[in-house]
Amino acid sequence: MISEDRLRILTESAKYDVSCSSSGSGRKNEGGIGNGYAAGCCHSFTPDGRCISLLKILLSNDCIFHCRYCMSRAGADVPRATAEPQEICELVMDFYKRNYIEGLFLSSAVHISPDYTMERLLEVVKKLRTEYKFFGYVHVKGIPRADPLLVHETAKYADRMSYNIELPSEESLKLLAPQKSRESLLVPMLRLQRERAEFKAERKKGHFLPAGQTTQMIVGASPERDGKILRLSEGLYRNAGLKRVYYSSYVPLVHDGILPDEPAAAGACREHRLYQADWLLRFYGFSVEELVEEGEDLPLDLDPKCAWALRNLHLFPVEVNRAPLEVLLRVPGIGARSAYKITEARKYTTLDFSALKKMRVVLKRARHFITANGKFCGAAEREIRGLLTAGERAENAVQLDLFSYAETERARSVRTGEL
Amino acid sequence: MIYFYDGSKDAFLTALLYAFSDDDAVLTSGRAQLSLSQKTVFVCTDKRRAEKAKKRLLELDKDSMSDLDTLLRSGEEDRDTVALNYFKFLAKAGKPVRGMLAEDAVAAADACIRRVNFEVHRMHGFLRFMECESGALYAPCAPDADIVDLLARHFLVRLKGYPFVIHDTKRQKAAVSDGTKLFTAPLGQAEVVLSADEEAWQALWREYYKTVNIPSRERLKQMRGYMPVRYWKFLPEKNDPPN
Repeated sequence: MISEDRLRILTESAKYDVSCSSSGSGRKNEGGIGNGYAAGCCHSFTPDGRCISLLKILLSNDCIFHCRYCMSRAGADVPRATAEPQEICELVMDFYKRNYIEGLFLSSAVHISPDYTMERLLEVVKKLRTEYKFFGYVHVKGIPRADPLLVHETAKYADRMSYNIELPSEESLKLLAPQKSRESLLVPMLRLQRERAEFKAERKKGHFLPAGQTTQMIVGASPERDGKILRLSEGLYRNAGLKRVYYSSYVPLVHDGILPDEPAAAGACREHRLYQADWLLRFYGFSVEELVEEGEDLPLDLDPKCAWALRNLHLFPVEVNRAPLEVLLRVPGIGARSAYKITEARKYTTLDFSALKKMRVVLKRARHFITANGKFCGAAEREIRGLLTAGERAENAVQLDLFSYAETERARSVRTGEL
Repeated sequence: MIYFYDGSKDAFLTALLYAFSDDDAVLTSGRAQLSLSQKTVFVCTDKRRAEKAKKRLLELDKDSMSDLDTLLRSGEEDRDTVALNYFKFLAKAGKPVRGMLAEDAVAAADACIRRVNFEVHRMHGFLRFMECESGALYAPCAPDADIVDLLARHFLVRLKGYPFVIHDTKRQKAAVSDGTKLFTAPLGQAEVVLSADEEAWQALWREYYKTVNIPSRERLKQMRGYMPVRYWKFLPEKNDPPN
């Protein structure tokens, strides 16, 4: 059994990697322990609000690279540890059978050399699959500049692999992670993508990254704006077929003249807005041009869909009984679930506001952008922005009663004589 | 009228026939507040009637029996009446009504089914096994809904070959597997002798949980939203070991 001290050292530097999803793999239990859980499964939540799905651990934190933001960089005065492949395997097996974890997230510092490190990572995942008969989820980090053959071999055993882009531009990368280059990260990513497509086309037995690839960017350590970051993400989704891009708000762990010493005040909120925009790109049919200009940031006081809708008020309100699904999905406050409920329910009846309420479609934001059976319950155009941002400000906002608004609208209509 | 029944599927189907034209029917398998103005009826299973009701419902909607199964698992007090109203509505509509979410009866049943299924999903993650001296795995839990057999199906596939017990301490029943087959049985209290390493693994897990947290980004409200406190009782990472 690995000692508590070494587990602590090896987890301490792995935890800033935000990728923790265990979805996308339908691997079967082939006579051992474990299987995939296509929807993903969270096993616990830590006080920082993040989930624990995978055991996140480094094989070693003894690094030869000098990435300036990283606590494990070469020369840093931190305790070092390197685990034996067998120790990791045992840890995974015993945690997994107690249902603590959904699988393994295995990363490593660049220990001795990129090839040596990749070889060791391959050894762990191969051992897990073949000796320990473990068929649960395994995510392995790709090591930049490692031999493509080793990476290819690893991909046969892992469910997902990832190369972290780290920083959104080549200049920042050069400055902060001098041994990594855009090319040392993007080329293997694209190669894996090609190999995965070939594997799928050949319909061979076995596996090759059934859950695909992801990547991660540190946000706030370098000057790139949200518009630039999201353009990069969109490109990665379209051209490299990535499943997810993770955004990690910079947490200062290292004092260095060229890095911010304090976490950006907007850090967590900015990260949240980036994820919201990312979802709009992947599931709601938005393109990045609609959301934010290249040289600008997303607004912090409004979610990106609201901000888009306010810029495009001429498209609203839409009638919930007639609007096609892709239009419903663009209404602020209506998500995939509500849009689905609406399209289902309206097959049978005409929906009015009380029906929407009964169906638990949240109307706090949506009411300004829809009509239900011809009726509009929102505020006047010039007031909407204020109401939406006020809602965002009040953290514990109370759900307002729909009809109190219907009332004020009626009152206004009495006052102005407008119907 | 208030209809009492034993909570079984057949008794429910019998009660459905009895209460079919009673618009104010309240159905319950637990305790209900009796009021002076309402009459009460105790419904016993009538196999023949239950079969008849089942056959008819399956003709109308082939998934109706799985809906019923899920609804009756719920731990919510009004689940029986919610189910009653849903199936009455189905029978009157004469065709599947699942999509009619603007109807009260359907919306209530849909929400109830969703909560049960969501808890099954949550418990797939939150269940914690302990290793016994014999090598068998034991997991106590107290879910809102009656789902230990559903959980056991998931773990039978996942832990192929491992004998395990999933114990619902609230309902005093357990799903038991020898590694290949499953059955459920009443189980009040379990005497568990832990394996020699069990406590050390739990300690290691606590250490991991503590380390993987980023203290500078504390968001307790979010944690409790995702993992409500009522699920903490059996999580080693949320309970310090006894001295």
